[in-house]
Amino acid sequence: MRTIMTGKRTLEMKYKSAGWRFVMPAAILIFALCFYPMVQAFFLSLQSGLANNLHFTGLRNYIRLFQDDQFIASVKNVFIYLVFQVPVMLFLALVLASILNDKKLKYKGIFRTMVFLPCATALVSSALIFKSLFSLDGLANTWLLGLGILSEPKNWLQDPVWAKIIIIFTITWRWTGYNTVFFLAGLQNIDTSVYEAARIDGASPMQSFFKITLPLLKPVILLTAIMSTNGTLQLFDEVQNITGGGPGNATLTISQYIYKLSFVLNPQFGYAAAVSYAILIMVAILAFIQIKVGDKQ
Amino acid sequence: MKRNMIKSVVMITLAAGLLFSSCQKKSGKAASKKGPVTLTVWCWDPTFNIYAMNEAAKIYNRTNPDVKINVVETPWENLQQKLITSLSANQADTLPDIILCQDNAIQKNLMNYPKAFLPVDDKIDLSQFAKYKVGYGEMNGKKYSIPFDNGATCTFIRKDIVEKAGLKVEDFNNITWDRFYELGKIVKAKTGVAMVSYVGNDPDCVMIMLQSAGTWMFKEDGKPFIADNDVLKKAVTVYSKMIKDGICLTVPDWNAYVASVNNGTVASAINGCWMVGIISSVKDQAGAWSVVNTPKLSDVQGAVNYSSQGGSSWMVMANSKNPDVAMDFLNKTFAGSKELYDTILPSSGAIGTWGPAASSDAYSKPNAFFGNQKIYEDIIEYSKHIPQVKYGVFNYEARGAVGVAVSKIIQGTSIDTALQEAQKNLEFQMGY
Repeated sequence: MRTIMTGKRTLEMKYKSAGWRFVMPAAILIFALCFYPMVQAFFLSLQSGLANNLHFTGLRNYIRLFQDDQFIASVKNVFIYLVFQVPVMLFLALVLASILNDKKLKYKGIFRTMVFLPCATALVSSALIFKSLFSLDGLANTWLLGLGILSEPKNWLQDPVWAKIIIIFTITWRWTGYNTVFFLAGLQNIDTSVYEAARIDGASPMQSFFKITLPLLKPVILLTAIMSTNGTLQLFDEVQNITGGGPGNATLTISQYIYKLSFVLNPQFGYAAAVSYAILIMVAILAFIQIKVGDKQ
Repeated sequence: MKRNMIKSVVMITLAAGLLFSSCQKKSGKAASKKGPVTLTVWCWDPTFNIYAMNEAAKIYNRTNPDVKINVVETPWENLQQKLITSLSANQADTLPDIILCQDNAIQKNLMNYPKAFLPVDDKIDLSQFAKYKVGYGEMNGKKYSIPFDNGATCTFIRKDIVEKAGLKVEDFNNITWDRFYELGKIVKAKTGVAMVSYVGNDPDCVMIMLQSAGTWMFKEDGKPFIADNDVLKKAVTVYSKMIKDGICLTVPDWNAYVASVNNGTVASAINGCWMVGIISSVKDQAGAWSVVNTPKLSDVQGAVNYSSQGGSSWMVMANSKNPDVAMDFLNKTFAGSKELYDTILPSSGAIGTWGPAASSDAYSKPNAFFGNQKIYEDIIEYSKHIPQVKYGVFNYEARGAVGVAVSKIIQGTSIDTALQEAQKNLEFQMGY
């Protein structure tokens, strides 16, 4: 009995240690390249000063955040992007996915590719395309002048409101297809017999979309919502390339502000680290709220 | 079992070792002084400063064939970013021997990394350079920069456009900004073309006005001087009025700015004289351009028709393994070769600030593109009258704060409120 027991234990240990050995390399790399810098960044965020002349100041950087007009402006901008862009994009993605999931639709492959294609363009190139579309002598002005809607070319990117709209437009164009793929995968897991039963009971397509598709896709919607929120809070490339944060601070994002603090202005690495921790805290809170709301039922 | 464990530990250590080996310091293999020496230089414009550096290398190589100058094209933003990351991580050995630095950033870099740069005034004769240029690189009584290109501002004007509006080029010489605004209104009304353009986020125009009045955004003691700076207030007033009335067009970035100048969207460009190269690149506009001096602020004491914008200077890095060679090279070329300035001027428009070069024939030659005007002679004359100001360590913060203020004013905020906010912002940034 005893010998069998010990034999079992060693076998178990053998399995366990094999598992650990498989996990170890990845775990070490993640720890060294991700968690270790995060901890270091946290310690950095407790120090202030220029360049390498840092000294420990405790939570002062975090208190400074609330007095910083530029930081507050960038947070406001990012939340405007978030509130307008994420719901619109997810709704569009859902609609596109439902259409692409339709059994009667012909040439599905072509449409799917077309919807996903924007996602394959580099962030910078898509940003540059939208920038040139809305430049003073760009396509948007040429068309609107030709149609007689505008009487003189509009300086889109120098207008605080329009600049934001164009950035929201660019992000939506770039990321809708990406989310569509998630929804499409989710839709394919819903049994078609559910829809058939609904149709027999006299449900309209609208009703089955809101009463069947939406509830059953809830986990996927939650996932995409968290991912998009996270992505928007860290927005950098598009804004940097389209407006550079201007006019004034009208389109500045938090990530851009971190970049400015580190490389454009006198380097304040401690404060920049505090700003990046602010993003982390915001992402965590928003994700928590989304999970709570999503799990209500 | 045990052997397996050891094996995996060894494997992991090896993998980790490979990963981190790239971060390890390279073993110091100081080049022996007798053998061939390579100097690495970072600068950014192939048709301008890179070209000038390569020409300087050719001249130096005639007497010192053992020295190889390796010029690496590094855009300014990247250069600044690499400089900050390497110096902050104490990895200065990844940096070159010589860098070109925007005049605006010299003080900032000197203050944040005082040990990263070598003082040059005991090795290189700086007395022949324009005073305002040498001043940018002065800290604690030592001088750290060798001036490269002249930043003297000019009004580059499209003769054909202003003549269509019934004006002459001469009408724009020796004028005030108020007069410029009136003339701009006429041009706008008669031709529909905006008078001038600037990048919306950079208040370059306001900075040109400030320097022409010998004022900057800091007091003598380095404290911000924005909210009760009357000259700044006047400058911002004129500038925002020009934007509101469509006399000045704002564009989102530098490329759009160059396009607006090159494709006739605007009738003039008021900027540093290094614009000569950009403007002459459109060959079919030959004869259409002229150069006059910069408008000045009216009713401001000490305001002149001359200013500076966006020049750059060479700096020698302290990590250089051959600092003496680097100094000697710069001393015999940019600070000592008339021939160099003679070569780079006609082909790249790079106007130096080294006194003796101004007497060379190349500067007095008429320029065909600018309707045979002797523009270089004029620009050298302008640069003699530029008021000297100290840009200061927090220059970029101050520029940013004023830039935001200007865009708020255009959206309807009152000038006083916007400038007070800018002062507050700048004080915040400086209260790190």
